[in-house]
This record gives sequence, C-alpha cells and structure tokens, in this order.
Amino acid sequence: MASKQIKTNDKHVKNLANIVGGSRSILYHKEDLLAYDSDGFTLHRHLPKAVVFPKDTQEVAKLVKYCSDNQLPFLARGAGTGLSGGAIPMNGEVIISMVRMKRLLSVNLENRRAVVEPGFVNLKLTNSISDKGYYYAPDPSSQYCCTIGGNVAENAGGAHCLKYGVTTNHILGLEVVLPNGEIIEIGENGIPDAPGYDLLGLITGSEGTLGIVTKITVRILKNPEAKQTVLAYFDNVTDGSQAVSDIISAGIVPAALEMMDKTAIEGVEAAAFPVGHPKDIEAVLLIEVDGISAGIAEQINQILEVCNNRNVREVKVAQDELERGRWWANRKTGFGAMGAISADYLVQDGVIPRSKLPQVLNRINQISEEAGLRIANIFHAGDGNLHPLVLFDARIPGESEKALAAGSACLQACADVGGTITGEHGVGIEKREEMRFVFTDEEINAQTDIREVFNPNNLLNAGKLFPMPGRCVEIKKELKEKEAAIS
Amino acid sequence: MSLKEMALKQDPSCTTNSLSNYLWSDAPDENKWADCVHCGMCLESCPTYELTGQEQHSPRGRVHLIKSVAEGKLEVNEQFMDPVFACLDCRACTTACPADVDVGGLIEEARGQIRQAMPLTGWKGSVSKLFLQGIFPHQNRLNSMGSLLKFYQKSGMQKVVRKTKLINVMPQHLVEMEAIMPEIKEPLRKKYKNEKVIKAKGETKNEVSLLTGCVMDVMFSDINESTVNVLTRNGNDVSIPQNQTCCGALHVHAGDRETGRKLAKQNMEAFKDSDKVITNAAGCGCALKEYPELFREDPEWHEKAEEFSAKVEDISKYIHDTGYEKPKAELNTRITYHDACHLAHGQGVRQEPRDILLDIPGVEMVHMPNADRCCGSAGIYNITNPEMAGDVLESKMQNVPDDVEMISMGNPGCMLQMAMGVEKYGRNQKIVHTIQLLDWAYQKEDQLKGGE
Repeated sequence: MASKQIKTNDKHVKNLANIVGGSRSILYHKEDLLAYDSDGFTLHRHLPKAVVFPKDTQEVAKLVKYCSDNQLPFLARGAGTGLSGGAIPMNGEVIISMVRMKRLLSVNLENRRAVVEPGFVNLKLTNSISDKGYYYAPDPSSQYCCTIGGNVAENAGGAHCLKYGVTTNHILGLEVVLPNGEIIEIGENGIPDAPGYDLLGLITGSEGTLGIVTKITVRILKNPEAKQTVLAYFDNVTDGSQAVSDIISAGIVPAALEMMDKTAIEGVEAAAFPVGHPKDIEAVLLIEVDGISAGIAEQINQILEVCNNRNVREVKVAQDELERGRWWANRKTGFGAMGAISADYLVQDGVIPRSKLPQVLNRINQISEEAGLRIANIFHAGDGNLHPLVLFDARIPGESEKALAAGSACLQACADVGGTITGEHGVGIEKREEMRFVFTDEEINAQTDIREVFNPNNLLNAGKLFPMPGRCVEIKKELKEKEAAIS
Repeated sequence: MSLKEMALKQDPSCTTNSLSNYLWSDAPDENKWADCVHCGMCLESCPTYELTGQEQHSPRGRVHLIKSVAEGKLEVNEQFMDPVFACLDCRACTTACPADVDVGGLIEEARGQIRQAMPLTGWKGSVSKLFLQGIFPHQNRLNSMGSLLKFYQKSGMQKVVRKTKLINVMPQHLVEMEAIMPEIKEPLRKKYKNEKVIKAKGETKNEVSLLTGCVMDVMFSDINESTVNVLTRNGNDVSIPQNQTCCGALHVHAGDRETGRKLAKQNMEAFKDSDKVITNAAGCGCALKEYPELFREDPEWHEKAEEFSAKVEDISKYIHDTGYEKPKAELNTRITYHDACHLAHGQGVRQEPRDILLDIPGVEMVHMPNADRCCGSAGIYNITNPEMAGDVLESKMQNVPDDVEMISMGNPGCMLQMAMGVEKYGRNQKIVHTIQLLDWAYQKEDQLKGGE
C-alpha cells in the first residue's frame, strides 16, 4: 500500500496521475482495473483505461479538461451499484471515481437542506441528521452503500418514493463540471422552481452523459411523527395486486407499498436476512403508512379491512422498530439475496399503470415459462414499478442470451399496456434498444440533440441511454479486438 | 441473432477449469463466488474500501479478482497479491452480504495459492517464518519467549532500552507495540501441567475443555485464569488437554494452509474426548469453527472437522447459554464494548457479552458507534501491513467514547491493538476482556464476604 512510483510509459496515465497528486490516486494495472469492469449490471464487462480519484472539484475539472483536450473518453463512477450499466467503461474510458469526495459539507435545519459531495453515501445523510429528527427521503435499496452523486445521475427511486417522490424531487442545487472542464452552478441558493429552464431536472437522471456533478444541495425532511408497517400474505397474486389497487383507491397514500412473489420469497428466506415468510405463499405485501399520529390507526384499520376483503391469509402490524427493521432489511437486500438461489440475475425495471398489475404479472409468468428461466418479482407495487428478476446461470452456454431476451420481453409487456421501460434504475447500456419501445426515432434524435449541446464530442459516457445507430460497427470492432486478444 | 445477443457473445460466459491460473490443489471454491451477484452491498462494511475508496480493496472487487484468476484472465502475481493480502480478514462483509457469500473463505484459499506461487522473501518472509513456523506451533518456545519478555520487563532492561532510545532502531510500528506489551505472567498450561481436571466449585454440572491459545497464554495468562475461575464457579469441570497447540488461524490468514491443517489435526486429536471446547480468543474460536474449510478435499478429515467444530464455543456465549451466577459486588465503572470481528462477524456472538457486562452491578455501558468495525489488529496484519492497520486503528479510536474508563472485548489481538491505540492517541482507557470483568466482580464479592 505504500506509495509507489508510476510504472508505465503511457503519457496520459502519467499526466492524469500528476493532476490527482500521484500513485495513490490512480489505478492503471490490469489487475486493479478488473475490479472496475462492471457495476451492478454484470452482463457487459470492459476494462477502463485508468481509474482516477480526485479529491475536489478543481481536480475533477482538470481531469475532465485533460480528457477533453486529448480526446480520451471518460465517465464518472460512484459506488458502482447501478443496475443498468451506466458506469461501465464500454469505450475503455478513464473512470473518474467520485468516492473520495465524500464529505457532508453543511446541514441547514432551518431551511431544511444539506450540501453533500457526490461520493457521500445515501444512508449516511439520514444517519447524520436522524438524532435531530430529520432524514433524507429517497431510499434506494442500495442506500447502505450507493452514493448521492450516483442517485442524481440515475434519478434513483426507492421504496418510499411512492409518497415522497424520487431523487429529482429532492435536489435543490448542483455544481456540475461540464464535459469541457467548465464548472457551473445551477439552482443556486437552493431556491426551488427558479425562473428559466429546469436545468436541475435535466441534469438529474441524465445518467452521467451531460456533466459530472461535484456538489449537491438536497432537501431534507422532518421525521414523520408516527409510522406503522403492515405485512400481508396472499394465496394468490391477483388478490395481492387487487389489494394494492384498493388501498390507493381508498384514498390512502402509503409511504411505501411493496410486493414480493413466491420465487422472491424463496430467495430472501434462503439468504442472510430471513424473517420467516411462509414458503407456500404466492405474494407478500409490505405496507407502510406515516405522518401525524392522528389518523394513522384509522389508515391501518382501512388497510387491514382491504386485505381481509381480498382473502388475505395472514396480516400483521410490526410490533416495534426491531421487527419493522427486520422486515425492511429482508426486502431491501432482496436483489443480492437472489445469489442464494441463483448464480446470476438480471433485474428489469418496468413501470405500468397499477390497474394492469395482474395482467402484466401473468404475462411475466408466461415469459418465464417460455424462456425456461425462473423470474422472481420484487417491486414497488404502489407506483406500479416492477422489478422482474430473471434468474440464470451465465456458466451455462446460451442462458445469458435467454435471460436478456426474457428481460426485454418483460419490458415490452410493460410498454404494451401503456407503461414504460424504467422507473428508477436508468437505461444505461442495458435498455438502450428498448428505448425504441417508447420513443420514435424523432423523439430519440431530439434528446441526443440536447446531449450535443452539453457533450458535443460525446467523450463523456458515450454509448449509454440511447440506441446507437453506429452500434453494429462498434461491436464488430470490439469482436475483432477480443479475437485478437485471445489468439 | 439480435444485436444484443451478438454483443453478449463476446463476453466469455463460462468458467472452464482448464483456463484457471490456480495451479495447486485447494484452489478457491467456485461455489463460493457463484453466490456473488456483484450488488455492492458489502462495500461500506469493508474497512479497506472505506480508507482507499478503491474497489480492488473491496469485498466484491476481491471476489471478482479471485474469480478472474480461475477464469484465466489474471495471473497469480504481485499485483493480484496486493488486494488479496490487504484484506483484514475481518469478515464484516460476510455480515453485510445479502447472499451469504463466504468472502473470508475465498480470500484464505486465494492466499494459499499465492503463497505457493510466490513464497515470501525478505524481512517479511523471515519474520513471518520465525513466528508462524518457528514459534507459535511450539508451546515451549512460546513460553521461553514469554520468559524472555518477562526478563526484559523485570530486569529493568525495558527501562534501559526505552531510556537510551535504543528502541529507536526498531521500525515505528514495532516501537508502538513494545510500548503496550502487557506484563508477562505464568502461562496457564504450565501452571496446570499436572492437573487432569480443575474441579468445579460446588456441584459439577458440565465438563468442558479449554483452548488456552498461544498469545493468550503467554501475554494474557490472567485472562485464562479468569476464564477458569468463571467456568469452575458456574459448575464446570475444566480440563486443559496438554497436547493442544496453536489454532492455526494466523497460518491460514497468511496463506500457509498446510501448517494450518497440521495444527488442526493435532488439536482435533487433543480434544477428541471433549464434548465442549471453550475459547476465550475470538480469533482462535473462529479458526476452530472453520476447520472443515481446510479439509474440503479430504472427506475423512472433513467429517472429523465438522464434528469437532460443532463442539467449539466462545466463553461468553457458553456462559450466557448455560447460565451463570449474577455477581453481587459492584464494580462502579463506565465501560464500552468493542465487537471483535471474529466474535461478531465470525461467530455471530454480539449480544451475549453485552448481557454479561450489564449483569455486573455498577457497570455502566456507553455505546460505541460502529462497535463492530475492525480495529486493525487482524491477526498479525498490524505487523505485516502497519500502514493500513494504523489507519484502521485511528478510525476505530475516534469512535471510542471519551468518558469511559475501560474498553471490554473478547480477543487478545484486539486487546493489544486497542492498547496501542490508547497509548498512541493519548487516551487513558484500560483494556479488559469481558470475562475478566465478570471474574473481578466475583472476586470482589468473595473479598467482601471474607471481610464480613
């Protein structure tokens, strides 16, 4: 670990190392780079040219300028927990890792905002202010380790976004390094709804294709006065889905309304945080209501009644914070838990109108049968955000392809009922082609025109988010390179 | 074929053993990494990732590299060794992992391959050879080293060395270690050499055997003494099998799995008549429980190891589960508790020691944030990777509450490391073993009774 000399003849690596202050802040050996060849989406793997670790905005700006001046492709990466491949260096990018910029810069309780660096971990924000009665609402399941910078790039959602909205609803200001190295601030002073175009909205969710966020002003919320959590077991998925619709129709806006199906239950129960869900159950709902104390009990009673009307087998209210915590840990580690019952998984992220839940779930079942692959469903039922997890084993020839095709078919099913292809995970590499399910060529071109304005040379995170007309050529080139490397 | 399918074709999707760059038997186990889906939930649990922010120093990164060697994408070389050996072996990732991936097992298997491919050379090699093969497995040599240390302290030589700055010729991290060397007393195994069984005080309820440990018995024999006191006071006959040896944890951590297996066999033999094997050193306990892992490729010994490891239990859990007399004397002290990695993450023992401490009248427990974060001791990691170990220790010490008098824990390695932290950062806490506090409360109670 001692600081070492830079041992390479690559002048770019040497120059980049100089910008970030030497060998401790750059990786360039193949062995180290391999750890960066994918993010949470593992079906594509590419080695970066180098990984650099800037410590402040100035260093980021210099790195970006250097890459831009020298025509080196580059991209930003946080914790690398993204599920659509947004941080995969598919063009041999220089990865600018933001994880060392991880300070909480300020907390302003009076105006309910906090300023963080992009590498600051999502859950740490809530942990830092919870003793004062505040929290940060967007809570992706990976919140234990994902960074807020990554959340901004992907416009991350989470279980509680049903009531509180996704990341974009909580961003008040950004400092951004543009692809030419220029530093800009938008949403200054954190005043919401500033006049002019909504640049905050444009950058948030741009999947790292318009600029690199180096400072973030977020909204923080007062802890709700009361909170209750309910677990309900159903013997069939349709009853469970109907209960979801009924709860919303009854005028209740739960903070969270989550569903897992039988295969998902098998996974979480076989993994590290089991809570004893019955194995023979077809669907479990996890429902949370929060707000002022008055009225919570009434809402819970309404929910229990709805569940009973829909033939619930068992329904229970969390007795204490400990029980509530166990239920949530079980749900939030659900994706990783699939490792316990399957070698690999591919998670999809479709959104549908709530009323179409039973229909689409049936279709997903069909897709599963046709593909001969199991599909587990863990999803934010309340806002119709499905997460079909296609289980497969990449070691079996042909299974990866089948899984991808099945995942794509699930998205088609969502688009067919008037839904869309991503709710919170982003398009990345994974769903580029599926963008065509929901956008015409003209609509896609209009969006790439916007990218041109910010990122004219397309050096920053190229090849993500939109289907690429030139892709075929690219693939052939890569194939040739691979073949050359093998032989 | 669609574009997407073509894109996939280029990624090698299968693992072929023939490609593997692991050349020796006992190679990292494919089934272990097959559970890892690269979700990243382990990242924040890992002290080396926290400090470096680099994913090759994270659990999922290490797993990916270990897998890549098996897939023939990487060689076993210096660059691969660095992340694999920088792991503290703290197992925090095992707790965090949703899929229960045995990262610790993979790391140790990979270290075994590295050590065979690239035997240690230089001073690190000599030091590690001296300790791991020359001293730890040999109780008499350990004892003589203990006697030497005792002589060093008692003779006044320690004072001379410190005063004359002779100490400055040692590397800094060894100087820091010298500063906190506990006072050496007589090892327990020597003391009870001729006693087959130390009888329970009062009626015998259970019979147990004690692993005295090597560092524990030489550096902290008073903790072993306390352990025997607590056990016998609570109705346990205690035997100390004389042919027991070092648990092998340090060897396995260092990649010397062959010596690890040798020691494991000797211990299984030594304790073959015991129904319960009690340890008071979390690192040893965890190692004993993981003996089956060493014999994956040897069905006969694997079965024996399974049987043996089922008998192993940490003293705090054993006492907690079988019941113990609540002490009546008051200790009147403010303490905090540090979770030794190999107790909390390795053996899942978290609440039991805390319950015991809270049962002692007058003990006030102050919460330590991130109590289950590694202190950086990690076997002999603090000797081999002093820089990283120092950084980990610094972040640990920042979490130790200011206003406590003692830090309690269940592992001798942590005790030495934390004592070094107290010394280095000008703190004034006393470092104690959980079972010592219980024993002191008993002793105080007896004194008070005697005085009546």
